[in-house]
Amino acid sequence: MTTPAHQVTTTARGTSIDISPWTITSTTCPISNAPEISAIQKELNGLPLPEMPFGNNSLVIRNANSDWEYTFNIVEALRLVKMGPLDPGDGGVQVGYAKEWLKSRTDPNSANPLPTSFFAKQFDWTYTTTYVGHITSSTPPQFIPADPNNPSHQIPIEELSRPDPILFYTEIPLFEDELHDNGSASLIIRARVMPTSFFVLSRFSLRVDGVLFRLHDTRIYHSFVSSPPFIVRETSGWEAPYSSVKRFLPSPDLSPLTDPNFVHNVLTSLPKSTTQDPKRAGGTGWRGLGTKIEVLYLNTSDPPSHSELDSNTESPDATEGAKVIN
Amino acid sequence: MPSDLDKQIEQLKRCEPISETQVKELCIKAREILVEEGNVQYVDAPVTICGDIHGQFFDLLELFKVGRFCPDANYLFMGDFVDRGFYSVETFLLLLAFKVRYPDRITLIRGNHESRQITQVYGFYDECQRKYGSANVWRYCCEVFDYLALAAVVDGRVFCVHGGLSPNVETVDQIRAIDRKQEVPHDGAMCDLLWSDPDDIKGWGLSPRGAGFLFGSDIVKSFSHTNRIDLIARAHQLAMEGYKLMFDRMIVTVWSAPNYCYRCGNVASILELDENLQQEYKVFQHAPTDTRSIPAKRPPPQYFL
Repeated sequence: MTTPAHQVTTTARGTSIDISPWTITSTTCPISNAPEISAIQKELNGLPLPEMPFGNNSLVIRNANSDWEYTFNIVEALRLVKMGPLDPGDGGVQVGYAKEWLKSRTDPNSANPLPTSFFAKQFDWTYTTTYVGHITSSTPPQFIPADPNNPSHQIPIEELSRPDPILFYTEIPLFEDELHDNGSASLIIRARVMPTSFFVLSRFSLRVDGVLFRLHDTRIYHSFVSSPPFIVRETSGWEAPYSSVKRFLPSPDLSPLTDPNFVHNVLTSLPKSTTQDPKRAGGTGWRGLGTKIEVLYLNTSDPPSHSELDSNTESPDATEGAKVIN
Repeated sequence: MPSDLDKQIEQLKRCEPISETQVKELCIKAREILVEEGNVQYVDAPVTICGDIHGQFFDLLELFKVGRFCPDANYLFMGDFVDRGFYSVETFLLLLAFKVRYPDRITLIRGNHESRQITQVYGFYDECQRKYGSANVWRYCCEVFDYLALAAVVDGRVFCVHGGLSPNVETVDQIRAIDRKQEVPHDGAMCDLLWSDPDDIKGWGLSPRGAGFLFGSDIVKSFSHTNRIDLIARAHQLAMEGYKLMFDRMIVTVWSAPNYCYRCGNVASILELDENLQQEYKVFQHAPTDTRSIPAKRPPPQYFL
C-alpha cells in the first residue's frame, strides 16, 4: 500500500490534515464560557445548554475539487433537541424515580407538598439528537438513497477492521451532560484517515439510570479510489431498556454501563427487532430508531440516474426513500 | 514527634492511600466528631469556601497552594468530594484526616455524590474496589457521608449548601429538624438542598426530568430576607470561569474542579471571606498534566468502527 502525500498541521486550537483534494479540520477547545453560552442559547431559542457545551469545537471535511464541505458542530446538533412539550416520536423519558417523587409531593398527607404555583420548563432534558452533521457548502451535491444492490454503497467494515496505518486521528466532544447524575448524554465525533480512505463516526449516546440506553450513530466513509468519487453515510439508532443491557455486565461493577462502546456492543448484539423497532426497543416510540444508508456523489455530473439506483422505490424525498435495514 | 494521624496526613498529601485499618479508624473518629455537629454548622469568618472537587486530587493540591494548607486557613467544603476523578479515595481521606486533626478549622458538608447509590455509578465504589480489593473502604466512607452536615452559615450572614433551596424550607431552623443520618433520599427537603439549581425563572420550577426543583431570584430574595442572609454560596454546577454570581450577587456558584473530568478546560475558584465577610474569588488552574495526575490511558481507540 502506498501512502499518498499528506500534511498534518497542529495548532493550539486543533489539528488538520491535507490529503488532496481533501482537508479535514478538527477544532478542540475548552467548554464555552458564560458569554458564549448565552450567545448559543439565544441562537437556540433559549434551550438550556448541556453542562459541558463545547461550543467552539467542530469537525469540517472539505473537498477542494467540488467545493463541497461538511461540518459537525454543537449549534446544529442541539437545534434538533426538542423544545416545548414532547410529542410521540420525540422519545421523551423521565428519570427512574419521577413517579415516586411526584407522588411524595402530591399525596394529600404529604409533609413536603409542591409549592402552590410552579413553572415547568419543557424541553428534552436528555438532549436526544438525530444530528448527522450538515452540509456547509452551497454547491449542489446532496445525499441520495443508497442502492441496496450496489456493494460499494455501504460502510466497508472489513476494510476498516484492517490495521492500516492511521495518518490522522481526532476525537471531538460536542457536548456532554450528566443529566444531574441520572445518567449521561454525550455527542462525540471521531475521525481517522488511512492511506486509502477516511472514516468518521459521530455518536450520540444516552443512559438514563434505571430507565434506558439510546444510541444514534452516523458513519461517514469515503474511499480515495472511488471513481466517480462518492461518500457513504450510514445512520443508525438503537434503544433498549436499562435492565436488558445491565444483564450483560460481566460482574456487579456497574462502570461498563458508562462506556458507550460497551453499550454499543450489547445493543448491536441484540436482535434488531428488539432494539430498532419503535414499537418495542425502549418503548418510547422514538423516531431515531432504524438504519439508513445514503450516498453522495461529489461531482454532480456523476451520480447514476435514479432508475439505476432502485427502480422500485421512487420517492420524491431522498430521506423517505432511503434504504432501511430491519 | 508527629502523631500517627499527622503521618497519615503527610502520606495522603503524597497521594498515597492509607491502609484499610487506618481508614476504618479514621472513619470512626470522623463520625464521632460529625455526630456532634448540627445539620447546619455555624462557622466563623474568615473562611475559604470551596465547591466540587470530584476526586481531582492534584487539583486539590493546587487549591491548597492558592488558599494555603489546612490549618493555615479555615475551610468550608460544600460537598462532591468523590466520583469522576481518578483519586476520590485520597481526596476524601485527606479532607477527612484534616477534619479529624483540626475539627474547628475545616467544615465538610454533604454533596449529592456523597451517597451510596451515586458512588456506585460514578466511580468511587469502583476505585475503592480497585485500590483495596474489596468494598470495605467504600462502606466506611459511606457511613461517614451519612453524618455530614447539610448546610453551613458563616457569621450568620452567608448560607452555604451544595445544591440550593427547597420549597419546604423557609427558614434555616427548618433544616435543623431534618433527620440527616441516612442515605440521600429521592424526595423531601434534604434531597432538594443537595440537588436543586437556581435558574432565570420566577418562583419555583419543576425540572423536566420529572424530579427536582429550580428556583428563581424572587425565591432567593425571600429566603435571604427571612433568614437575614447576605449571600447564598452553593456548588453543584460547572462554571467555566470558576464561579458564577447570579441575581444581583445574592447567590454564587463556586466550582473548585479545574479542567473538570480532565477535559473541560475550565478554571476553578475558591471564595475567601475575610473577617468582615468581604468576598474575594481566587481563581486557579489545573495541576500541570504529568503522568501522575492522570493515569496512563489505554492507547487511543483509533481503530473505532
